[in-house]
Formats: sequence, C-alpha cells, structure tokens
Amino acid sequence: MTAEASTALLQMTGIVKTFPGVRALDGVDLTVRAGEVHCLLGQNGAGKSTLIKVLAGAHQPDEGEIRWQGEKTALSTPVAALRMGVATMYQELDLIPGLSVADNIFLGHERARWGFTKDRQARRQATALLKRLGHPEIPPDREVGDLSAAGQQLVSMARALAHDAKLIVMDEPTAALAADEVTNLFRVVADLTAEGVAVVYISHRLEEIREIGHRVTVLKDGRTVARDLGADTPTSELVALMSGKRVETVYPNREESTVDSSREILKVEKLGRDDEFADVNFTVHAGEILGIAGLVGAGRSEILETIFGARKADEGTVYVNGKKLKNGDVRSAVDAGVGLAPEERKSQALLMDMSVAQNVTLASMRSYSSFGFTDRAKELRDSRAKLEDLDLRPADPRRNVSTLSGGNQQKAVVARWLVHGCRVLLLDEPTRGVDVGARAELYRLIRELAADGVALVLVSSEMPEVLGLADRVLVLRDGRVIHEAPADELTEADVLDMVMEGSAA
Amino acid sequence: MSVAVPSQPDERLVKPRLWDRLVVRPEIGALLGALLVFVFFSVVTGEFLSPLGVANWLDDASTLGIMAVAVALLMIGGEFDLSAGVMTASTALVTAIFATQVGLNVWFALILSLVFALAVGALNGWLVMRTGLPSFIVTLGTFLALQGLNLGVTRLVTGTVQVSGMRSTDGYESAGMLFASTVNIGGTDFQVSILWWIVFAAVAAWVLVRTRFGNWTFAVGGSSLSSRAVGVPVVRTKIMLFMTTAFAAWIVGSINILRNASVQANQGIGLEFQYIIAAVIGGCLLTGGFGSAVGAAIGALIFGMARQGIVYAQWNSDWFMLFLGIMLLAAVLVNNTFRRRAERVRR
Repeated sequence: MTAEASTALLQMTGIVKTFPGVRALDGVDLTVRAGEVHCLLGQNGAGKSTLIKVLAGAHQPDEGEIRWQGEKTALSTPVAALRMGVATMYQELDLIPGLSVADNIFLGHERARWGFTKDRQARRQATALLKRLGHPEIPPDREVGDLSAAGQQLVSMARALAHDAKLIVMDEPTAALAADEVTNLFRVVADLTAEGVAVVYISHRLEEIREIGHRVTVLKDGRTVARDLGADTPTSELVALMSGKRVETVYPNREESTVDSSREILKVEKLGRDDEFADVNFTVHAGEILGIAGLVGAGRSEILETIFGARKADEGTVYVNGKKLKNGDVRSAVDAGVGLAPEERKSQALLMDMSVAQNVTLASMRSYSSFGFTDRAKELRDSRAKLEDLDLRPADPRRNVSTLSGGNQQKAVVARWLVHGCRVLLLDEPTRGVDVGARAELYRLIRELAADGVALVLVSSEMPEVLGLADRVLVLRDGRVIHEAPADELTEADVLDMVMEGSAA
Repeated sequence: MSVAVPSQPDERLVKPRLWDRLVVRPEIGALLGALLVFVFFSVVTGEFLSPLGVANWLDDASTLGIMAVAVALLMIGGEFDLSAGVMTASTALVTAIFATQVGLNVWFALILSLVFALAVGALNGWLVMRTGLPSFIVTLGTFLALQGLNLGVTRLVTGTVQVSGMRSTDGYESAGMLFASTVNIGGTDFQVSILWWIVFAAVAAWVLVRTRFGNWTFAVGGSSLSSRAVGVPVVRTKIMLFMTTAFAAWIVGSINILRNASVQANQGIGLEFQYIIAAVIGGCLLTGGFGSAVGAAIGALIFGMARQGIVYAQWNSDWFMLFLGIMLLAAVLVNNTFRRRAERVRR
C-alpha cells in the first residue's frame, strides 16, 4: 500500500460504469483525504454526476475498487453509503418540505423511544448542529418548505453532520445562492474541513475552486485526466485539461459557407424574460448555423422556447422573414415556419406510444386531414419518404417511436419540421443521449439542412459541437450574451474560459 | 475573502411573519369553510343551534370523520384507498354474519371482523408496493371485488341482500355500549360515535406530529426515493397506512351494525369519494406529503353541518351535492392561494 493510500479517506480506482449505449465512467480515479476540499472539474457529460451517484450508493460500478479509510468496501445502497459516512447534497435537495427542520435532519434515524420521537432532544441536537454550521437562528420546528434555498441547504448539511458524515459531496451548491450566501457557505465549508470532514466540491465556477479548494481532479469523457492538482493551477491549464482533444467526434469538413447573407430569416430583437435572460439580439440568415454556447442554466433553452412562443417574452420581438411573431403563441411561430427540437426529446417532443408516422405528421395535421378524418395512407407515404431522406433506420413509419434509438428519435423530430416545411429550426442539445456514430450522422444532417437554406440555431453544452458546426457563436452567461464571434475565430478554451469566468475576451 | 467572518443571524433564512405561517397551515381553508357554514345555517334556521340539532350534525359528521382522518393519513403518505367506503359495509357484514348465522358472541365476531379488515388493508398495501401500480387502480380493484363479495356472500348465507337479527345475539348489549351508546348531556342524547371521531382525530394528529411513524408518513408521501435513501422503511410505512384505513373502516362498520342491528350488503358504495373530499377540503394534497388529520376532521364537520343544515332549512336535499362541489372547489382554491402567496413572500 502506498503512503498516499494509507492516509486517504476515500480511494476510488478504475471505476467503470456503463449504461445501455453509453460508457459513462471509463476508468475514474479519485483520492480524497480527510479535512480537504477536493474539487471535481469537468464539462457536462464528463461523468461527474455518475461518479457522485456511485459515491452515494445509488449506482453500482461495473468495475473498479473503492477503499474507505484503507479498507476495501462496496457502497451497495444509499443507506449503506450514509452509514459509512458519505453524505451527498444533490443540486435538487432531497428534503421533505412538509416536515420540520429537526424531523428532516433525523429522518430515518430518529431519536425515539417506543416509536415516540424525542422531539425536545431532536430539537436541541438540531440546534446544536445548526450552530456548528454557524446558523443557530434557524428554528428547528419550522417546516423546511418555509425556508429559503440557502436555509434548506444548511438543513441538508446539518443532516449530513447528524449522520456523522466524514465526507460530504456537494453538487454545485452555489447554483441557487446569492453572493453573500455563498460567502456564508464557504465559511461553513472551511469550518467543517478544519474539523476533519472532507468535502468533494463540484462547481463550474473556477473562482470558487480557487477560493476554497485544496486539490483538484479533472474528468473528461468518463476518465480522470488529471488528479490531485493544486487549487492554484492556472485556469488555462485546467481549461486545457477539460477540453483536450476529442478523438471520437467527427465533424464534416466545413466546405464552402452556405450562408446567404442577403436573406435574413430570423431576427431577434431585445428579447428578454424576467429572471431568465435579457437583451438578446441576433439575426440568422438562410443557410446559417448560429451556435449558442453556455452552461446549463445560463438561459439557453429559455431563449429557444421564447422564440418558439412556448414562453411569453417580457420584452423584445421576434421576426421571421421580416414578419413579427405573436408573443407567446406557438401556433404563430409554427405557421411562420419555426420548428423546435427540444432538449427533452422524450417528454417535450415525441408521443412515445405512437408510431413514427404519427409523430412526423403531428405538426402538419391540417394538411393530412379533411373533415376531421386523417389520411393515413398519405401520412405513411410522406413519412416514409422523409425517413429515407434523413436515413432514419429502420425506415418503417409504422414502428412505435419508443423503439428507435436516441439518434433516430432526434431524426424523427427533425423530420416532423421538415414535413411541415420549416425555415427556422431551433435545436436544443440535439446530440444528448446519442451515441458517437449517430452523432456524426446528425452533424452531417444539420449541415445539409443549412445547405438547403434553413436557418438554424444550435444550443449545446459541448463546446466542440458548437464550434465545429456553427458559423457564428453567441456566448451566454447568466442570461446575457457576453460575446459574439465567427466560430473559426474562437477556440474551445476561449469559450470555456468565458462561460466559466465570465471574462469576455 | 476572509473565511473567519463572525457568524451572524441571517434573517432571510427563515420567514419571520406569523401571519404567513398561519395562513399556510393545511387546515386554513377547512376552518374558514366550517365557520362560514356554521354561521350561515345558524342564521337561516332555528334548529341548527338547538342541542338536538347539534347532536344530529355532529353524529352525521362523526362516522364520515373517522374515515376521513384515516384517509387523510394515507393521502399524506401519497396513496389512495377507493375500497374504504365499501369496507365499512364489509366489516359490518362479517360481524353480523358471524354473530347471527354462525352464532358467535358479538365480541368474538368483532375480533374476526377486525382481523379480516386488517388483512384486506395489508393486501391493498402489499399489492400497491409489490406491483408498483398506482393505488388508485389497485384499490379500485379491491373496491369492486369487495362489493361483489358483500353481495355474493350475503345472498349465499342469508338468501337476501341484508343481514339482520343482531339484537338477539350474545354480547350485543355490551358491545353496543362501546360502539353505539349515547351520552346524555343537558337532556340531549349524543352518540358515542362523536367521541370516537374526536379521539381518532386527536390520536392521528398526535401520531403525525409526535411519532417516528408520523415523520415517515410525511416522508414517504413527500418523496419516497429520498426517504428510502436515508433509511425510512417505505414499504412498511405504506402498508401500515393502508391497514390504518381498514381499521377505521372496522370502527365505522362496528358502529353501524351495532346501532342499526342490521346491514345492507350494498352499503358504503360511493362513500370513498366523500372521505377523499373531506380530506382534500381539510388540506391534503392529491400528490401526498402535505395535509392534516385535524383538517380532515373539520372537512367531515362541514359535510355534517351542510347535510343537516339543508334539512333544517327545509330545502330539497337534492341541492346538497351542488353545495358540496362548490365547497370543495372553494376550500382548495383558498388553500392554494394562500400557499402560493406564502411561497412568493419566501422568495
């Protein structure tokens, strides 16, 4: 056993976890020492969430070894992980809003005799724990649903302490907090680590990692690409590690630009929604792909949905071919030729229990029905033609859409808008949950659509995807466009730097 | 940033305003509704406030209230029981058949009936947890099955669709003392069922707030996944809740059979929705994790007052359902509005 292993609180080696079609973790190493804040860095899809779930006992790894205080162990259930001393604070805190603070803290390991809870003792201990976190003013008998996000987070942390956690995993804990609440959280984290508790800290904000982190592990494509770096590692180095060069992504060569700058198709003016995004301006020409880069929660999907009319804009206007769209009216957007392929394909776009043909013609029912009756033959004929165009396999329009793979489901959504005759296609994370081979096909399809004169807006968390496909890129942070440039003038590191640090070049 | 900031109380972490806290109580809608109905019928009719009048509407509310409280617990735990109404008839039938046809002592028949009830409750819970189907569907199944059993077995045993003749059985008097006697207060007879109702609601409220089981009930209804992750016995808790509903149905069935001395095989059908309505008026959410036993008891009180009040006002009782529908919508809207307002304040 190495010297490091003997002092490590947690040591994970060679963790592999596969899901159907995806190798989410492909050899992850992570070593955490007692009393340190260990930061976990990586782009979306790098495997951070899967790793946390393995650590919380919610997922079982297929391969690899986990040692806890030097002993080999298996985290077989969430309760087992908790009993061992690993507590996880997910972004969506899993507290019970209808129960009091004290009841939440001791839920599952109540202080009780003969089934009766020792409420006074629980309240006292809850207060003691909250005091340890620097917040004795939170009343232990208040319902958790009555607390602010920051208050709930403290309760969640107190619960971790009540389980005598030696390791607390915090998944983007500052996402829902205001600036001074973040200061508070950092003080609490510093106090905890001073007492010997280890914290695995996940955040997209590099400045936070500098402030409280001790060591950093970087994940990329399900692998550990760098471990145990100092928190003072230069940003450029971290960003380079996170982006790296992907071997498997295949973008079609950018040949002649297909942009027809004489034909302005989509124009967005001063678009804004309170608390989501503000002052968004851009135009997209025929044959152009506009990429929007930004982190999850930066307002990307919200912008697309507002253009599409699924959300009502508080300010600003959307024009298609010079004609103003009615605010908050999907019908008006669809009639003008706007199509949206949303992020959550299965719940937001497809009717999973219906056939491919029915899904494809859904937006164009008017041209497939007369007097309320649907022309099924025409529906099948047209869908089949479109499926063949898009190389959707199997090209059987009668198949249930739920039997298709992710990539082919995405093609079905695109086919729907093509059948309808769309001029503007909004793509939100088009390759999420799509495996590598199918991605390349989707990329080619997107390029072909542009060549046909469609105006496309592409939102993606994967920087290489945006940079590899788009003609022009908007960089979005906290609901504001902070940078706009032709894609070939940007590098992945530039964009990552901007979305994480907010320092527009 | 200096890590050593002195910890200061942060008043934004908690919501200090008493009014906002009162107003989000689940019972608030029911309480306002009950007051409204009470004042209304007190003014428009003379008999409503007379001792006999009060005894009548309290009695009406009591058997409904016992069930509503149990159903509320189950709904807080995130489940429904559509078999609850017909269970009140099943338990009465089991008691009556064992007492009159088999000739057992009434006390013994009551115990057998209790065992039967708890078994059905456990079956409901086990099926729901085992199959993962919505309890709405599973208990709809047991509801129909029990309805068929009630009629089929009754006709098989007695040749009719009712069981009567309880008065001549052993132990009828003494068991009646427990379930069907009256208490004379100031010259008016009050049914003992009212006492059962109050005690049941009080015990349920107390269990919800003061016991581990109560915490678990809120937890499994609020989020059974997070509950399981911290070690709450989700399956056991839910099965216990179904058994509690069945137990309540046994109490109500026993009250009915010992008071009337006979029972119709088709009794109880349609009552299951009244229980759910009373629980919802009392502040339970259909999604679970939120609600109140006292609220459900008050919801049942509104039922009783309105049903008897309409009689005293000499209106046609046809109007009762209209009244009920409006009452339900109003109470839910009040609850919803207050809660939303409170959530806005919180942000």
